[in-house]
Amino acid sequence: MERREFFKKAAVTAGAAALGTTAAEAGVTHQPMDNRKVSNIAFPEKRPLITYSDRPPLLETPREVFTSALTPNDQFFVRWHMPDIPTYIDPDKFTISVNGMVKKELKISLKELKEDYEQVEVAAVLQCGGNSRSAFSPTAGGIQWGSGAMGCALWKGVRLRDILDRAGVKKGAEWLAVRGSEKAAYYETPDFIRELHLDELDDHVIIAYQMNGEDLPYLNGFPVRLIIPGVYSDSWIKMIDRITVSDKYEKLFFMEHAYVIPDNECECETPEKKFPKTKPIYRMNVKSIIGYPANGDKLTLKSQAVIRGVAFDGGAGIKKVEISLDGGKSWDEAILDSGKLGRYAYRTFRYSFKPKKLGKLQIMARATNKLGEVQPLAKDIKWNHGGYKYNGIDVVTVEVV
Amino acid sequence: MKKLVLIALIAISPMMAQVKEKIEVPYVAFPVKIGKGFETVQSMCLMCHSFGYIINQGRQSRAFWKGKVEKMIVHFKAPITKKDAKIIEDYLFEHYGNGKEK
Repeated sequence: MERREFFKKAAVTAGAAALGTTAAEAGVTHQPMDNRKVSNIAFPEKRPLITYSDRPPLLETPREVFTSALTPNDQFFVRWHMPDIPTYIDPDKFTISVNGMVKKELKISLKELKEDYEQVEVAAVLQCGGNSRSAFSPTAGGIQWGSGAMGCALWKGVRLRDILDRAGVKKGAEWLAVRGSEKAAYYETPDFIRELHLDELDDHVIIAYQMNGEDLPYLNGFPVRLIIPGVYSDSWIKMIDRITVSDKYEKLFFMEHAYVIPDNECECETPEKKFPKTKPIYRMNVKSIIGYPANGDKLTLKSQAVIRGVAFDGGAGIKKVEISLDGGKSWDEAILDSGKLGRYAYRTFRYSFKPKKLGKLQIMARATNKLGEVQPLAKDIKWNHGGYKYNGIDVVTVEVV
Repeated sequence: MKKLVLIALIAISPMMAQVKEKIEVPYVAFPVKIGKGFETVQSMCLMCHSFGYIINQGRQSRAFWKGKVEKMIVHFKAPITKKDAKIIEDYLFEHYGNGKEK
């Protein structure tokens, strides 16, 4: 079989198209892949999504979902790291252990979590640090996501701070390590743990058991996951089974080696010369995605069309989203929703216009946050070896007929 | 009486999960290239992750694939011997390579 054909087949079978040939070696960025179709296989509690892997499950949300402020649970993206995910958890027996430098060790059942603590809600965007990684050339190793490794939900749970207060953090404690229950095939593979400095715990950091008014879907971390609004999702540990308080920061794989970027001002490097010092990815940058129309869609000449999409950042809040229909020469402000979901959630935007010319039309969306940070053009984003934090201006090309 | 039943149900409901039984993650048949070294790939790579991970990277250089295998050994502690690492690298480069060494 020809290689090309083989890849075509791969796309049909798995719903995850492979990349074509590699581009220039200098380290450039461009629009992420956007031609992948949802698979014909639905995963538990999910509609068919773009499927990269079954073990561990890696599912991406298609573009058209990004027109509403909350992403439906059954279309919310999925990303696990280890092959062995518990496939059954008894909610009556499940507990979260709180141990380490605490006055009183706890084993919190789901019932206690729901009844003995103040219940709080926060709407927040969950985005993989590698979302849009396929924008980087040469290929930054890792899952070659399009733009759908993100979603926004209303999370309900308990403040992590309240749980720690109940346990009583001992003097001198500085760190806490939150562990997920996914397991590797080999005993020696490091557990999936996120370490947080106690100073990072504000009132928005919660242990959530509910997502958009329902139990968390199994693949999104049932029964409880960590919510750290404004921060990339590698920190949002799923299926939490243990929280350990400590005075030491332990150098663990996922924070020290996996989800890291160059620790310099541009957070960039070249493929030939990687920057020696790295830091974990943390707060999200400003980004927007056009949900409608999608690449290749047809719009009708002189008929009102409404461009819709979502914008978000790391919690400063979105100030404006602008649309360009002339390749970035002029920009016009879109209408934003009320923002009632708060500064960590998607702001939806809409922009109404009448296509005036037949043929191809390029639509660009550019978000600015309240700190004045503006999305750069794709080509102006600097390369990094992990393919993290891409936030280029989204471009879709439609046909006016 | 009806009211009582309803209250009882509400009291229980927080403990009722949406899914009350074991979930089944479906098997996805990724097309794999059978060739020299495939048995090693099967036993060493697919132990931890699906073939989707490999296909999704696209065609890459020998150095890229070598680096990937090393990452699995160094960071994920995959018990791959030096000999097997080379076999895997050769397989990946032959079937998913871009023809470039670097």
